[in-house]
Amino acid sequence: MSISHKIYTGLRGDKTIWSIVVLLALVSTFVVYSAGGSFFAITQGISPEGLLMKHVGTLAIGFVVMYIAYLLPYQRYKTLAPWLLLLSVVLLVYTLANGVEINGARRWIRLPLGVTLQTSDLAKVALVLFVADRMTRFKDYIQDFQKAFLPLIVPILLVCVLVMPSDLSTAVLLFVSMLFLLWIGRVNWKYLVSLVMLGLVMFSFVISLGLLFPSVIRVDTWAERIKDFVESESIPLMDSDAPLEQIDYARMAIAHGGFWGQGPGKSTMRNFLPASYSDFVYAILLEEYGFVGGLFVLGLYVLLLFRVIKLVTLSSKSFGAMAAMGLTIVLVLQAFSNMAVSVHLIPVTGLTLPVISKGGTSILFTCFSLGIILSVSRYVERQHAAKRAES
Amino acid sequence: MATQVKNEVLYRVYIVAGALLVVAAMIVAKAFMLSVWQAEGWRELLANRITSKVVTGNRGSIWSSDGNLLATSMPYYDLYFDATVASDLDFEKYIDSLAYCLATFVDTSYTPGGYKEFLIEQRKSGKRYIPIARRYNYRQMMAVRRFPLFRLGRFKSGLIIEIREDRERPFGLLAQRTIGYVRKDAKPVGLEGAFNSYLKGDSLKQPMINMPNGYQQPVRELSEIQPASGADLVTTLDLDIQDIAEQALYRALVEHEAEYGTAIVMEVKTGAIRAMANLGRTKSGKIWEIYNYAVGAATEPGSTFKLATMMALLEKGGLSLEDSVDIEQGKTEFVFKSQTGREERVPMKDASYHPYDSIPVEMAFVMSSNVGMAKLVDEYFVQKNRLKDYLAALKAFHLDQPTGIEIPGEPRPLIKDLQDADWSGTTPLWMATGYEVRITPLQLLTFYNAVANDGEMMKPYLVERIQRYGTPEKVFHPKILDRRIASQKTIAQVQYLLEQVVENKLGTAYKGRVNAYHFAGKTGTAQLEYRTGRGRKKSVGGHQASFVGYFPAENPKYSCIVVIGKPKKGGYYGGTVALPVFRAIADGIFKLRPEVHFPLVQRQRRPIASRWLPRKQAGAKSDMLHFLPQWGLPYRNETGDKPIAILVAAPADTLILKARHLPQRAVPNVVGMGLRDALYELEKRGLKVKLQAYRPGRVVRQSIRPGTPLQGQTIVLTLR
Repeated sequence: MSISHKIYTGLRGDKTIWSIVVLLALVSTFVVYSAGGSFFAITQGISPEGLLMKHVGTLAIGFVVMYIAYLLPYQRYKTLAPWLLLLSVVLLVYTLANGVEINGARRWIRLPLGVTLQTSDLAKVALVLFVADRMTRFKDYIQDFQKAFLPLIVPILLVCVLVMPSDLSTAVLLFVSMLFLLWIGRVNWKYLVSLVMLGLVMFSFVISLGLLFPSVIRVDTWAERIKDFVESESIPLMDSDAPLEQIDYARMAIAHGGFWGQGPGKSTMRNFLPASYSDFVYAILLEEYGFVGGLFVLGLYVLLLFRVIKLVTLSSKSFGAMAAMGLTIVLVLQAFSNMAVSVHLIPVTGLTLPVISKGGTSILFTCFSLGIILSVSRYVERQHAAKRAES
Repeated sequence: MATQVKNEVLYRVYIVAGALLVVAAMIVAKAFMLSVWQAEGWRELLANRITSKVVTGNRGSIWSSDGNLLATSMPYYDLYFDATVASDLDFEKYIDSLAYCLATFVDTSYTPGGYKEFLIEQRKSGKRYIPIARRYNYRQMMAVRRFPLFRLGRFKSGLIIEIREDRERPFGLLAQRTIGYVRKDAKPVGLEGAFNSYLKGDSLKQPMINMPNGYQQPVRELSEIQPASGADLVTTLDLDIQDIAEQALYRALVEHEAEYGTAIVMEVKTGAIRAMANLGRTKSGKIWEIYNYAVGAATEPGSTFKLATMMALLEKGGLSLEDSVDIEQGKTEFVFKSQTGREERVPMKDASYHPYDSIPVEMAFVMSSNVGMAKLVDEYFVQKNRLKDYLAALKAFHLDQPTGIEIPGEPRPLIKDLQDADWSGTTPLWMATGYEVRITPLQLLTFYNAVANDGEMMKPYLVERIQRYGTPEKVFHPKILDRRIASQKTIAQVQYLLEQVVENKLGTAYKGRVNAYHFAGKTGTAQLEYRTGRGRKKSVGGHQASFVGYFPAENPKYSCIVVIGKPKKGGYYGGTVALPVFRAIADGIFKLRPEVHFPLVQRQRRPIASRWLPRKQAGAKSDMLHFLPQWGLPYRNETGDKPIAILVAAPADTLILKARHLPQRAVPNVVGMGLRDALYELEKRGLKVKLQAYRPGRVVRQSIRPGTPLQGQTIVLTLR
């Protein structure tokens, strides 16, 4: 008790956000343990205990990263942002040219010690920090096209275009999140609308490019997924010859879970969904913990969003508030996208559920983001306390 | 101004949050719809299409100690054809060649045309499960899979391959009951039963999808899933010894028309069981391994139990071998006062008439006198009111304990206690001669083995190690049950007695004596299901002949028990029926195992003249390295890693083992080899071999010079 009590009283920053992070980590541990019992894990000779230990290890490192990020005064990220962005761009280019292919997508680079890094994870954080920093600097003339809009939009487009060929979903996610962030930062909405237009134009450009170079840009996969999505609205007939799709299995899983769920580790459909612990993790969650469990997890992300909004209300103009808001938008939007895939609102994206899906570097960068948010919350809290003391 | 900006930012933040909330609400709504509101359809689909099938890994094998396969699992394949699966296009295209292949390689009772007609007919009538071939091995199955049409795979051709597993015992009857089996709806038996948890492969629930056409499709290709195989068992059984024991036992059962029999061979120093043969008769009278008598059958042992009585007398009774006992020519009556005060007379007889009255204790044992043993127990334990000591001694010899052998079904021996309801005044007298006690052959052998092992009782065991892919996972070492079951003096005395049973002219095993080696042991002839009825009429339900002993007597290596039940022909005494089996086993082991030999000539060894040395002999190096040390000849090994060697005599009375290189593409040098080796090496290279004349010996000359290129020549060998 005493140690946890000490940690608790020693910690600054939003206690609710800390709690959300711990709860999400707990949920992810349950989910990954269930993954270990899946048929795919068994046939690959993965032991549930081994998988769990690895995941707990990753989470532990993630928490260390988060704690360090939390300890750093958030203003430091301001100076760090341009360099991180530069590094991201270099790595993204390198990934495009030289990356490691996993599951048919070239999104990873190999680091020493056998670690693979998904470069877009780094790019997400770097871009948010960079944009937040620029917006606070430009705040007096933020509506200006040349002085504010252009310097903001060029790096955004650069990163999105670099991410897009191998990972359309992340590119779209990032682009949409940035639009939200720019709009919150009072950038002229007319420019944003024209930017969406520009984005569509560029998108079609990339698609036509992809038709020319199918090996680099995965237009085929995109088209197939959308086609599947459109075709798979209804329940497949019992006696039809059509093979079942992943999304059918996902919906069977959700139906199987019902209101209260089948119980921890009792998923049946995990044996039929190869991506049950990344893309369709929410379906398995709903199967094991039911609608109630699914609501709870979704609620955690919503709560996170509201806690960060509270930070913004306390300190609206600061770099910290903008950075925290941006990071949260990316995180929550990604979470919702993942959930929306499982419940069949949108086509398969390949986006993971932040913190909960297994995956090494993704968890580390999510923890990094959360650490920055917590660092901001710590300073906002202190500032607020100081203000109150003054008055 | 600042407040205005702040408000503007906040109002935009709320709008963004609102948009995200709308998304969240949509997700919740959809999740609710799928999991609660409209879940029925999806649940029904799940119940209909999702299933699983248990896949089990290969069962491990059971090996003999000397590396022979005693039991193993062989996969085999049944092939079926679903005639409705192939598309019209594929069917038309391949039907001719497929019918040709099937009629030529699978079922030759068809002509290709006939097979084609058959297939077309089956397709028309919509048959989905036509047997193509049964019990095919892997290679045969793979061949069929490569036939036209079939090579398109299951879902395009309709070829259905079902895999099954058979348990094969390459050596058939040998040790069958000891190896045992695991079957559905039957008690597991033997090692298969006892070690089932190690032997059996992992089972895995393979998720399957029910296809509308009635098939089940695995989530992944079946070949990808390989649940772990079970571990292998390496037993202590020695296939050669098992074979000898089983054959000798079999012959005895036939010769004496006996009902059942068992023979166990144990290694004295370790307790490792080298053979365990069990033969009984099936209902039709056939001799078969039907029950493990060795482990499971506790019977009254008869005279073989006298060893325990004798040891108890020597150890606890204060008896000395020099004492004598009056055996009354092999017939006496014991007089008891029963509880009602009436006098009761209990007669006791030896198996045969002995023309002696007072004889040394030693002779009473050697002649196996019931009267003698009963009188000794009466005198030393009953009269002196020390029956407790007698029973305590038997317990000290562990005769009341099961051995704890690995295989199931071992009963606890029955040694009555003074408090038992069925204990009566005559009980100790009967116990003295091996009645009113029950013990299994294995338990009795364990006791004799302890005597052979100078008093150290070893736990009998059947499994040396459990291994997976050749790597030991668990090794079972010999286990000592008791460092010393009796004093050194007593052990030495009873060892002497057991030797005298064989060596003394009056001994019950004297006729089994053999000059080449010495053995020691005790005969037993027990009456089965005897009853003393009214008017002292005795009825006997048959006899059980047995012999327990060990050899070589001087330095025991193996102990062995032979028990044969209800012989009907050619006598029923242990010395007549069981002893020859013991001898056959001992003889066989003696021939097989040079290490049990002792020098026939005890004098100082004469120096060997060099002309007697083996010279210029060529052959497998491993054979030479095996025999040279046994001859006690000094030698030097200069062969390196070459497998073929030639012996060369060197000065200073040493032999040198030199490598002989046999080129693959030229005539080899076979001089010095035996004919068999020479023939193999020459014919392997396509040469025709002729002998100048056949006479035993080694090759001394070959007509073609070594190193000549091969052209299928005829080579003439001279042997001497």
